[in-house]
Amino acid sequence: MKNTYLLTSLRCALFGAFTVTTSQVQAESIAITNATVYTVAEQGILSQATVVIDDGTIIAVYSKDEVPESLNTDTLIDAKGRILTPGFIASQNLLGLVEVGAVSATRDGSDKKADLTFDASLAFNPKSSLIAYARKGGVTSNLVMPHGGDKVFTGQSFVVNLSGEFDSVIVQKNAVMVSLGSSRKGSRALKLQTLANDLEDAQKELAKAEKAEAKNKKAKGKDKKEAKEPSRSQKVMYALLAGEKPLLAYADRATDILALLKLKQQYNLDLVLVGASDAVLVSDEIAKANVTVMMSAIDNLPSSFDSLHNSLANVAKLTKAGVKVIISNSGESHNINQLRFDAGVAIANGLAETTALAAITANVADTFKLNSGRIVVGKNADLVLWSSDPFEISTKVDAMWINGNAMSLRSRQDALRERYTADTDMPRSYTK
Amino acid sequence: MSKKTLPRNLVMSKFTHKFINKKSAFTLFATSMLSLGLTACLPNEKQDAKIVINKNPYPSTYQALPAQSTLLTNATILTGTGERLDDADILLVNGKVMQVGKNLSAEQAKVIDMAGKWITPGIIDVHSHLGVYPNPQVESHSDGNEMTSPNTSEVWAEHSVWPQDPAFEAARAGGVTTLQILPGSANLFGGRGVTLRNVPSHTMQGMKFADAPYGLKMACGENPKRVYGSRKVLPSTRMGNVAGYRTAWLAATEYKREWDKYDSDYSAGKNPQAPTRDLELDTLMGVLDGEILIHNHCYKAEEMAVMIDLSNEFNYHSGTFHHAIEAYKIADLLAANGNCAAMWPDWWGFKMEAFDMVEENAAIVDAVKNSCAVVHSDSSTTIQRLNQEAAKVMYRANENGFALKEEDAIKWITANAAKSLGINDEVGSLVAGKNADVVVWNMNPFSVYAQAEQVFIDGAKVYDRFDDKYQAKSDFLLGQNLSNHANDQATEAVTAPVSKLSTTSSTK
Repeated sequence: MKNTYLLTSLRCALFGAFTVTTSQVQAESIAITNATVYTVAEQGILSQATVVIDDGTIIAVYSKDEVPESLNTDTLIDAKGRILTPGFIASQNLLGLVEVGAVSATRDGSDKKADLTFDASLAFNPKSSLIAYARKGGVTSNLVMPHGGDKVFTGQSFVVNLSGEFDSVIVQKNAVMVSLGSSRKGSRALKLQTLANDLEDAQKELAKAEKAEAKNKKAKGKDKKEAKEPSRSQKVMYALLAGEKPLLAYADRATDILALLKLKQQYNLDLVLVGASDAVLVSDEIAKANVTVMMSAIDNLPSSFDSLHNSLANVAKLTKAGVKVIISNSGESHNINQLRFDAGVAIANGLAETTALAAITANVADTFKLNSGRIVVGKNADLVLWSSDPFEISTKVDAMWINGNAMSLRSRQDALRERYTADTDMPRSYTK
Repeated sequence: MSKKTLPRNLVMSKFTHKFINKKSAFTLFATSMLSLGLTACLPNEKQDAKIVINKNPYPSTYQALPAQSTLLTNATILTGTGERLDDADILLVNGKVMQVGKNLSAEQAKVIDMAGKWITPGIIDVHSHLGVYPNPQVESHSDGNEMTSPNTSEVWAEHSVWPQDPAFEAARAGGVTTLQILPGSANLFGGRGVTLRNVPSHTMQGMKFADAPYGLKMACGENPKRVYGSRKVLPSTRMGNVAGYRTAWLAATEYKREWDKYDSDYSAGKNPQAPTRDLELDTLMGVLDGEILIHNHCYKAEEMAVMIDLSNEFNYHSGTFHHAIEAYKIADLLAANGNCAAMWPDWWGFKMEAFDMVEENAAIVDAVKNSCAVVHSDSSTTIQRLNQEAAKVMYRANENGFALKEEDAIKWITANAAKSLGINDEVGSLVAGKNADVVVWNMNPFSVYAQAEQVFIDGAKVYDRFDDKYQAKSDFLLGQNLSNHANDQATEAVTAPVSKLSTTSSTK
């Protein structure tokens, strides 16, 4: 290793403070110089800055004036002024759980029997052809939200990086999903009741268990009883009540959103609203409750009676009201690389550029406690170097690093295009 | 007598010519006999009144909105013919493009300085289900797929159109001035499509593009075989699909022969018995007569190749292939046969036949001489940004060896789309004499930040981003957000466009 003393010591210090997820390949040390760095942090946008990464982690971010004279890294990359952003974090899709939508044998995102313990990360396929294609849009990690079962609690989400390696799953079962709102059969009321009742029951059970535990502690000898192990479901509910896991709640209509805010207050839940088409009607309440909203930036049609206030301006309006927004591409798994265009549309409709960037990086990382989403010392080196403005259609990804590893930007689509544009007299199958 | 007794193929796009040349003499003869109707009275035999099929029983009542002569100046103009004019003007008079060029002047025209803006022809979507699969997506409005028989050529999408679909307004705000509404793809023959002007109207007829040919929706591949295979009726396989098409075209050929014989016998002074009308076969005969254009949902290269042979077997033109995910594999064949291919830039993977997507598809198709590459939406969302859909193709292609420019790519959503629909004599390009369908963009329309600021149809302004007067609202959304309190209009602001809000706040 050719690291300077400073870099090495920084790295050692950081190892103690952060859990670094490294890929199988040991990442080299890299300095990206002369970059326009969108830190999505206090430093804002730095021009002619240098970012140093080592062993998968960002170990230095130097502004123009701070760049040391010598950077003894394995690799030195001159960004030539191009924009460097944190890798984008997509959400609300089935990446790695579906290869071909209509081929049921390639779908692992739902199961009738799934309940709140459903952990689809066990089915995640890092070799899916969707992953390389998604990288072409600057997406380096992803919150996978399986559809789960048909109960109110549909299962749990998980987070992956897009390295395509077998160790892609960063965190399993990181949040609990519930599905509320209108349905073709039955009443939305029962869904809210079920959620409220389950929370209430869990809280009572927890109190009872704690009481028994306390009593047990005081007891001596043969009066001491072995504590009853909570069920798997109970453990999940207790984690929700302790605020250890966010509650990802699909809801569009304002009444459902208000009911959720009430439950959040009552049980001190770490609530995230998903969908939230009509959130603009109660944006002040959402902001006051400090609840993050995960939504599409391009759904602007009244697709249901729960969504009469869908608008391209909703992300901007919610943000203006003080709501933290995560932009996701609602359900699409094959085209999550378009996340940046969706963010661009939000910008065209009133959202500030830096806020749009945060909506697909830092806001997701903060909400789900991921060590990424910002270009800050200590964060995972998930970085994207862009040919120009990251949101523009004319722009492409010039380079990408996940955990400090330079990623390929070639997908199956490129191979097909090359085959059918190649100059050959032989059948195309010979062009590989 | 109907407006459309003259064969539509006389004004139809280039790709029908091959077919027309082959049999035009006969077609023209037969059709002109139909149009002669009662006037063809010969002395030998007493003839009953001639039975004539009314080909336009639900005629357009579209009227252009009020317009004044307008001169838009100093813009970057993409004409749709492959030209780009910088710092140029366009004059709209009596609903038509009168002139495009530099330093134009016109007395009595309203002059609007468009410096910094871009002007394109109105955007045309060849594949839409607005009105037949409208928003809100409720069962009561799900009217796009007559999934009761593999051949429903007798149904017409226009009879399902709900003109209050709020998506028409959203599409207009994206510069869409003309769109073809098609039935769904469950059936081998899904029924007739209809081409609409994207103007607000409370009837379908009020939107109907007066002289546009009908389309016939056909579908290859997975959808028909899945829908009917699960019911244990033909087709359950792709070979079943083709057997289904061939059976139908055989019947249509026979039906046409009967009508042609009736017409010729009648013309010869006989008093023949007219064949029994059959709505299903009327539509197929319209295709054989070159009056109805095929719009074929068909993803895969090998299936498109079969559909081309099928059309040759039964002597019609195979028209436009929609969702042609694999068009890039047979770009030469499509151009040689005069087919348009309507494509998405990047939708893929939702089914097996959509697995081989390449983002440069439209560019690869476009690169062949005499090609007809079209970018379509099939979506109430992406129809609002067809400019960006075309941009994706252009930029991805240019990253991989192409040298496409804005003036090339705009054709995929204007002129080529018009050709696919058989309306390219009227719309699709900004050329003197064409309908004045014009979009004014705030910047290069191939930017993610681009927005249509003003939209004109037949010279009349139908949309203005900054003028509420030109922002139509569907009946459905009207009054959905009224205040419950007297003297309180605060909640109205929630649905006001952001531009309006920001204007208000900046003046404070």
